[in-house]
Amino acid sequence: MFNYLIKRLLWMIPMLIGISLISFFIMHLAPGDITASESAFNPKASEESRQKLRALYNLDKPLMTQYSLWLKRIVKLDFGNSFASHQRPVLWETKDAKGNISKGMIQDALPITLMINLIGLLIIFALSIFLGVVSAVNQNRWPDRLITIIVFIGFAVPGFWLALLLMYWTGVTHSWLPISGLHSAGFEKMDHFSQYVDLFKHLILPVSISCLGGLASISLYVRNGMLDVLQQDFITTARAKGLPENKVIYSHALRNTLLPLITIIGLSIPGLIGGSVIGESIFAISGMGKLFFDAVLMRDFPVVMGILTMGSVLTLFGNLIADIGYAWADPRIRRGISN
Amino acid sequence: MFLKYIFLFLFFLNLPSCNSKKEFVYDHEGPFNTEKGGLLIDAMSGEPSNLISIIAGDSASSAISGNIFNKLIKYDKNLELAPELADKWTISDDQKTITFYLKRNLKWADGHPLTTDDVLFTWKLVTDEKTRTPYGSDYKLVDEAEAPDPYTFRIHYTKAYAPALDSWASLQILPKHILKDENINQTFFSRKPTGSSYYKLTQWVNGEKLTLEANPFSVMGEPNINQLTSRFIPDTSSQFLELIADNIDLMNINPIQFARVIPSRPDLKNKLALYKELGNSYTYLGFNLKHSPFNDLKVRQAINYALDKQEIIDGVLLGLGEPVASPYKPGTRWSNKNLHPYSYDKNQALKLLHEAGFNDSNHDGILEMDGKPFTFEILTNQNKQREMTAVLIQRRLKDVGIDVKIRVIEWASFVNQFIKTGDFDAVILGWSLSLDPDQYNIWHSSQQKPGQFNFIGYNNKEVDQLLEEGRTELNADKREKIYHEFSRILLQESPVIYLYAGYGLTAINKRIKGIESPAPPAGISYNSYEWFIPSSLRRNEITP
Repeated sequence: MFNYLIKRLLWMIPMLIGISLISFFIMHLAPGDITASESAFNPKASEESRQKLRALYNLDKPLMTQYSLWLKRIVKLDFGNSFASHQRPVLWETKDAKGNISKGMIQDALPITLMINLIGLLIIFALSIFLGVVSAVNQNRWPDRLITIIVFIGFAVPGFWLALLLMYWTGVTHSWLPISGLHSAGFEKMDHFSQYVDLFKHLILPVSISCLGGLASISLYVRNGMLDVLQQDFITTARAKGLPENKVIYSHALRNTLLPLITIIGLSIPGLIGGSVIGESIFAISGMGKLFFDAVLMRDFPVVMGILTMGSVLTLFGNLIADIGYAWADPRIRRGISN
Repeated sequence: MFLKYIFLFLFFLNLPSCNSKKEFVYDHEGPFNTEKGGLLIDAMSGEPSNLISIIAGDSASSAISGNIFNKLIKYDKNLELAPELADKWTISDDQKTITFYLKRNLKWADGHPLTTDDVLFTWKLVTDEKTRTPYGSDYKLVDEAEAPDPYTFRIHYTKAYAPALDSWASLQILPKHILKDENINQTFFSRKPTGSSYYKLTQWVNGEKLTLEANPFSVMGEPNINQLTSRFIPDTSSQFLELIADNIDLMNINPIQFARVIPSRPDLKNKLALYKELGNSYTYLGFNLKHSPFNDLKVRQAINYALDKQEIIDGVLLGLGEPVASPYKPGTRWSNKNLHPYSYDKNQALKLLHEAGFNDSNHDGILEMDGKPFTFEILTNQNKQREMTAVLIQRRLKDVGIDVKIRVIEWASFVNQFIKTGDFDAVILGWSLSLDPDQYNIWHSSQQKPGQFNFIGYNNKEVDQLLEEGRTELNADKREKIYHEFSRILLQESPVIYLYAGYGLTAINKRIKGIESPAPPAGISYNSYEWFIPSSLRRNEITP
């Protein structure tokens, strides 16, 4: 097991270099650089000053040189500063000589995205398991059909459209919920409890919308897994020895159904740091999706590369955790690995 | 069993309505007296990047920094130059030296005195090679700048430069005492500025909002509205929902919202006032003059006759725009009132195309010359209005036998792969211009290198000469003549076809009073410091 872990971890290094190399070159294959978007069509901005900017950012150097400069910084975990005119650090805050703190861009965006995605993931899994089990137990009867129809509608409905309708309904017609943003005006002046209530209210719509798509796949996954398990011999045995049906389903069948879900959880780890561009724009939440999208449009290479690097590290670790988790939960796999 | 849960969930959804605030009906009418205080909330699509305007390139930044910093001089409501920090300025007889005289007792928001030392410092900063600014070139023309005393600032140019005053009307003065030891490219000051104008920045929540408060040391006097909050809401539909839910007071709206949505709903009409103002920009169809057949004057004129500009304005902007006949804002002195856009005349277009040698010899509906069909591609960037415009142009040109293809491209690719390389037939783009009439960078034949702005390849000796003259003439009346003649030649030669100048459309909650309507040439916001919110109309302090 230990050797296996070491081997997997060592394999990650060449993988990461490969991933970063490919993403770096693809990013630079896209035409244009930061100077194109910032001042490209302002007649007051001259071509010479754009050249000056290019030199300042080393964009005039050969691609290989730029890559090695980037690699040299990244091994020291220095993600650099954004090319945008605010020049904020990409990853984490820095302090200048006078003690003024400049917050990192990912540092600002990541907690918000993580919060929404973690809550979303929890709800998706809890609700999907519940719906999947109900569907499987009532296979081909009306609750099963109804659930399937509902989750598929949720999957098929364009999120932004439903989001706007819900915002209108809950925010404008009824003023039950806030429309956009994460905090009400005057948030700073509230006491702690009201702050939580306020945040909770702001999160209801974005989290619900972000859950919609995931429900369909995972609830169907649980449903089908459950149906498979229910047909196996040990369930027949359990029923034959007279266990109550509840116990058969929830403690014997469900446990075995949940096994493959470990893989899905592992694979959704890198997704935790990715936000939806459309969702974040509509709800005016400044998360990772919008950060990445804007950085790509602006050709803000340090930010793009920073997020891609984080994403690939998490993907590799997510795969590893999925494998380990699976081995931990399923003795059959565990033995396979140690052999 | 699970139906129970659904009911429970629905019940839960209804719960918050019990404690939701009661609808309060405001009386917006009736006379109101100017009052100080209150809070105005607006929405911005983008978050400002850097509040040092010489470094920032985005419009969100300049919208905010304009409320914090001052310039030496400004444009007044009629777009004439007027005093700001300087109370007067003189131009020497040889037109090469300009002297600004500062007002007395000016102070920064931290109480430190503001003098010509700061002006000189700002000039040095913007011309410094190390400063990461795209706007240095205008100020590098200054040969020598001096501040002989705290109230006098003098600049010498090697030769007379007419847009000089305009350049000083856009340079925001920065405080020397704070910035002298800072690296301007990467300083806390860009997000925590100290200015001298009406407002000072008090709070900036990244990705969420920023708040300005009245600056007690303002060199301009005290504004009526005490607090401005700008919320960053990228999606305009969400902005609109916040506007009708009364959570924001002001936003820029689109023609559909202006002409259809708001007028058709009495509740919105009662609550929101609509304003339209002409911006300093226009949209055009530009040809690559180095490509045949666009090097032929007759072909360009034919296309100009074949396009119905009013149809485009009605279709794309729902009538909320104006046709233009010169590259200047209609209604300003630079726009030549004797010029009129080419009228829509299909027969004239066909006649000119025949004269240019185009005939439909194989009767397929498309004109040919030497056996080659007249077909070309219009490029534009991802902009809904420009895409719709392209479709209308495509249809009108089909009427006269020209086959047009449309291609929509992402901005950075558009600039780098097509504009810079000159690899295009025609483009739909817009120019946003400064208020000075000088357009040397756009039309002079020397400005055709990759990355320069005469990318269409316009080359006209007479225009070159007029542009050179206009640049060195500081007398406004003489300049007016020069630029009227320049506009006349441009219209006649049609290197670009002016399509429209769209109105900037704004919806403002009626609780904001003191807004001038109809908008003066400078737009409604020129006197935003005089806007006020009567206390009876103020938003209740929002309670959780």
